[in-house]
Amino acid sequence: MTADRPVIRVDGVSRWFGNVVAVSDVTFDVMPGITGILGPNGAGKTTLLRMMTGLAEVSSGRITMFGEPVRRNPELYRRVGVMSEHEAIYPYLTGREFVLAMARLRGVPDPNDATDRAIELVDLVKASSLRMGTYSRGMRQRMRLAATLVHDPEVLVLDEPLNGADPRQRYHFQALLRQLAARGRTILISSHILEEVEELASTVMLVINGKLAASGEFRAIRAALDHRPYHVRVVADDPRRLAAAIVQLESIDAVEMEGDGGLVVLSTHVRELQIELPRVAARVGTRLRRVEPLDDSLESVFGYLVEG
Amino acid sequence: MVTVFRLTVRQLATRGRIVILGVLGLLPVCITWLMTSDSTAPSVAEYEAVVLSGMMAASIVPLIVLSIASVSLGHEVGDRTLANLVLTPLPRWKLVVAKVAASVVVAAPFVLGSAAWTSWLAFNHDATALVAVSAATAAALVMYASVFTWLGLAVSQAIGAGLLYIVLWEGLFSGFVSGIRFMSVRHYAAAIMHGLDPRRFADAPHVSLAIAASVAVVVVAFFGWRTTLRLSRMDVP
Repeated sequence: MTADRPVIRVDGVSRWFGNVVAVSDVTFDVMPGITGILGPNGAGKTTLLRMMTGLAEVSSGRITMFGEPVRRNPELYRRVGVMSEHEAIYPYLTGREFVLAMARLRGVPDPNDATDRAIELVDLVKASSLRMGTYSRGMRQRMRLAATLVHDPEVLVLDEPLNGADPRQRYHFQALLRQLAARGRTILISSHILEEVEELASTVMLVINGKLAASGEFRAIRAALDHRPYHVRVVADDPRRLAAAIVQLESIDAVEMEGDGGLVVLSTHVRELQIELPRVAARVGTRLRRVEPLDDSLESVFGYLVEG
Repeated sequence: MVTVFRLTVRQLATRGRIVILGVLGLLPVCITWLMTSDSTAPSVAEYEAVVLSGMMAASIVPLIVLSIASVSLGHEVGDRTLANLVLTPLPRWKLVVAKVAASVVVAAPFVLGSAAWTSWLAFNHDATALVAVSAATAAALVMYASVFTWLGLAVSQAIGAGLLYIVLWEGLFSGFVSGIRFMSVRHYAAAIMHGLDPRRFADAPHVSLAIAASVAVVVVAFFGWRTTLRLSRMDVP
């Protein structure tokens, strides 16, 4: 496999369930490094990943990994590690037993040694002798990651792997993925949280309503996001006086009064607004009760990108 | 394959299930003991029809095997652990063989223990009868395990569908309709019993032991193949 050849190729793939189209004519390539699949819940990310790992059939199109078909090709799983979104564990097994079983199933030459290494990698040595049924969600995720990594796969497909992880685990996990990517591994990670993917992936695929809304370098997409107008709702003791004061700010594009003592501010410079708003409020002698973004959900971000 | 087998045995041999299956397995033994200790004990033919054919081959054995084999793959679909097994280089047929083998091993102590003990009591410690009943029960066990493993993967309500099959097909229709008899596991189990010990089911018409054994192999192979096919083609949750 040369560096310029895609590891995974998704070519005009669609999947429908009856009349519902879950994935619609999606085409992209995945190269070595970390690629993020980003999209709101229900966008079709999991269906796409399941088709890419051979767990689900495509309705039309073709998916290949290392130039081979992914479906009905068990030998491929010697080179691929998949961590699904669901916490599919055997609660009666200890963490070590689980990872060891996965090592044996994938034909690892020295499964005991590989198991110890994988558990060490996710920093769960102490808990490895406990049954997985007693684990917290974060611990389960980490032990499942150990099971995914135990055969040292060339390709890692991780569906919402940071669910349930605390900040420390999240940091450890991200460091581990960067380390693997630096060693030439191909990592595909899905998430519905923009920041999660931003911290990890240089390349992103934005999926919305089963379609590929945007793809490419994260920085270019982020730059587009930075020029997007945001709606911010501000509740203050004296909204009229505050509105009169902030409307003169350069960071504000428009201000609209709400009936219940609130203001809706439209701004393309949210960072400046964050700094200036408390200063102005203090200057005019009104207290800020609440400041909340109205359209910070991923759906609105996607909506903006798609419209743009 | 050994790993899948071990995982499945641990998954299936839960304490609650063992207790229930133990009670089910003891049922024919208790009934046989009561029948043989009564002064108006039934004839051998009556005993064979009621206990061996009606109770063991058509009820107890399939019920025990259904409760085990239908969940060996079925539960893995329900709790989404099946992906752990299929995302490995293991060929699907090996996965199915391991699952059926694990079901057979978990069910065997209850099914074969019950059959052997029952025949030992009923036929006055006759070793030939014991071997015949045990071998026929073992054949029924493997056939049912193969059928119910497939059912667990093919049907979402496998226990319900299996119960209907046991009650209507094996229990009711195969006892009355001669054509259906040749499509029932119960019939071939009785034929194997008769083939190994001609005194058993002496009054009923039977296919030869060779044909009965061949049918058993075909049934196991056919449903094993269907399960493998299903496993290869299905969307794994």
